Amino acid sequence: MPPSDPASASALSLRGLTKRFGPTIAVAGIDLDIPTGSFYGVVGPNGAGKTTALSMATGLLEPDTGTVLVHGVDLWADPASAKPMLGVLPDSLHTFDRLTGAELITYAGLLRGLDREVVRERRDDLLAALDLRQAGSTLVTDYSAGMTKKIGLACALVHAPRVLVLDEPFEAVDPVSAGAIRRILISFVGSGGTVVLSSHVMALVERLCDHVAVVGSGRILAAGSLDEVRGGQDLEDRFVGLVGDVEDGRDLAWLRQS
Amino acid sequence: MVATVLSLKYRVVRHQLQREWWRALLLIGGGVWSLSLVPAVLWAQHALALQPIDVRADILVGAGALCVLGWVVAPLLVTGLDDTLDPGRFAVLGPSARTLMPGLTVAATLTIPAVFFGVMFLVLTRAWRFDGAGTMAVAVLGAVLTVASMVLGARVAVAWAARAVSSRRARTVSLIGLVAALGAIGPAIWLTVRDGLESAAEHELPIILEWLGRTPLGAGMAAPGALAEGELWSAAWRLLLMAGTVAALWGAWGVNVSRALVHPVHRGGGAQRRTDAILAGAADRWWGSRGGAAIVTRTVRSRALVYWATDVRYLVNAMGVVALPFVIFVIVVPVMGLDARWALAAPIVLAASIGWGRHNDLAYDSTALWMDVVAGRIGRQVMAGRAQAVLVWGVPAVLVSAVAIVAWGRFWVAIPGLIGACVGALGSTLGVSALSSVVLPYRAPAPGENPFGAEVGSLGASLVAQLISGAAMLAVLPLVTVPFILSLTLDGRWGWLALVTGVGLGIGACIAGVRAAGAMYDRRSGQLLAAVV
Repeated sequence: MPPSDPASASALSLRGLTKRFGPTIAVAGIDLDIPTGSFYGVVGPNGAGKTTALSMATGLLEPDTGTVLVHGVDLWADPASAKPMLGVLPDSLHTFDRLTGAELITYAGLLRGLDREVVRERRDDLLAALDLRQAGSTLVTDYSAGMTKKIGLACALVHAPRVLVLDEPFEAVDPVSAGAIRRILISFVGSGGTVVLSSHVMALVERLCDHVAVVGSGRILAAGSLDEVRGGQDLEDRFVGLVGDVEDGRDLAWLRQS
Repeated sequence: MVATVLSLKYRVVRHQLQREWWRALLLIGGGVWSLSLVPAVLWAQHALALQPIDVRADILVGAGALCVLGWVVAPLLVTGLDDTLDPGRFAVLGPSARTLMPGLTVAATLTIPAVFFGVMFLVLTRAWRFDGAGTMAVAVLGAVLTVASMVLGARVAVAWAARAVSSRRARTVSLIGLVAALGAIGPAIWLTVRDGLESAAEHELPIILEWLGRTPLGAGMAAPGALAEGELWSAAWRLLLMAGTVAALWGAWGVNVSRALVHPVHRGGGAQRRTDAILAGAADRWWGSRGGAAIVTRTVRSRALVYWATDVRYLVNAMGVVALPFVIFVIVVPVMGLDARWALAAPIVLAASIGWGRHNDLAYDSTALWMDVVAGRIGRQVMAGRAQAVLVWGVPAVLVSAVAIVAWGRFWVAIPGLIGACVGALGSTLGVSALSSVVLPYRAPAPGENPFGAEVGSLGASLVAQLISGAAMLAVLPLVTVPFILSLTLDGRWGWLALVTGVGLGIGACIAGVRAAGAMYDRRSGQLLAAVV
């Protein structure tokens, strides 16, 4: 454990992150501190910059400016020390889909420098815990969207990271598997780990997370504990209040059946 | 529907050109180059018109058949086919193949190569202008049908090849077929041409051309000649044959379009694998893979080997490297009557093709790269593992072909030098490619996409990367080939020097390239994903 890691420090802190793609400003300056041991939800409308921000926070996309600290270690300056502390599940990226589910978990574990015996044991544990034993010998290319999410989560967990950054982990996952994932994440946070997840489903964030940040137009619109951000309202109402409702709520009369 | 499909196609092209303006230059360049060939074609038809009828017909049949073959083979081996209008993309909109086909056909006809060949063949029909209006009409009809068979033939070849490589059994069958065909064609051409080009041109060639004129490859070009010699029936059945061929090709394409609408690709065909190939591969310690970080190298290598064995895009790539050496050995050397020792270039070119073929290696893993990127600072291990996976099949392929060529021509003296040159070419080009794939990656077909697909303006979709990696390769290759050439021309003892320098430089360049590429990988890891999408 690096010396710059007092127990009270943030698990993940983003400082002045910006990213521009040509004329489009995807992230316009994000500062966010994610306390150790928190279950942190990041919500925002489509195209708000959530995925871009999380990519920069996990080493997948180089920020134009700003720093990312993982338990006090600068991710972009010292990736060799920072990346092992992170477990990452990106949204809508391919995996090595010519591997079977079991092989993909093994691959992720061995890349992280784990021993073969350890990887074998953890692979079988993860396949069982996520109800993927049947799918372990099937190629990932034949998986459904929900199964792909679950195998991605298993790959993020295999090296027992300290911080999990999950982009839309419950998307397309069936209720039984979602229950299993929830239990795994809750016990991970209970044991001192930190989870950051993005989602569009407010009810899920309210149910799981103790902290939440609302992102809009590449900025943080509100952040803090769930109750602070809600301010006595429903999270969904507060969210719509912050990012603004659809401006032209026109009626599609031609769509009516009679 | 025709107008809808056409405007869709041109809108896609326009947007693509707006995003990457230099593609427009390539498109214009291609157009200008095509136009510059028109005077040559005009001159050719003029010269042909003065020849006797049978010579005229023979030349036109030969040229036509070569063009048809080129149209079918080129997209499979070299360039790919513009797949802007991939029928699978229409699937969600719900049109039937019947409503789509007219639009797709017109769009396929209105491409620069198709228009160019159409104009060229129509100009060539003027070679028959002195033989009466009837002959001229037959010539025009034959030319149009021949060009139509080229355009449709290319589509059908790509569609069937894509289907053939997508299932394991079909893949094995087609691979065996390909090897058998190459094995048959090669010796046949050698036997024909070995007795001397003149004798072949005098005895075998006219017979081959006569027979070609009875097949769909040449019937359209042979028909006017038949009519000019007064054989009405013989011209008529040739045109009918061509019309039937075009109809059959169109039908076959239509069948493929309607299949593509209801058979989305990107499935593994339900393949199962109980053993963990990655876990087993990581235990496989061989050369250069000791030490703490080595397990990561071995892991990446075993993953890459799974891809070489199962991913269609990699298989097509691996087959494509054979094209150039095969052409050198089977066509260039015998046809140009070069000294048989030139055939020794084939295995060296094979080695360089394998190496240079990996200059966009990273992009083939597409966005799955994120797994390697988040795992830490492991660029060197990633690049080493990838290079080792190529060497696993590349080294045996190159050595076997080198020994085979030496045995064929009994050039036993040349073997040390040849092995040195081959190993040197493979290692140094792989080193260059490793660097290029990290520094200049460009978009490759994504997993599950048609491996024979190419993007709009495909010939240069990646021009900068190809030019730079190609130039770097050409700069490096003389270092490993010059001693070998000296051993053939000056003194055989140079061969032993070629062996030492080739093997030494090859291994050195490969290791140096992979290490430098690994360092660049770590430095650029935050930009790589964005670069390959």
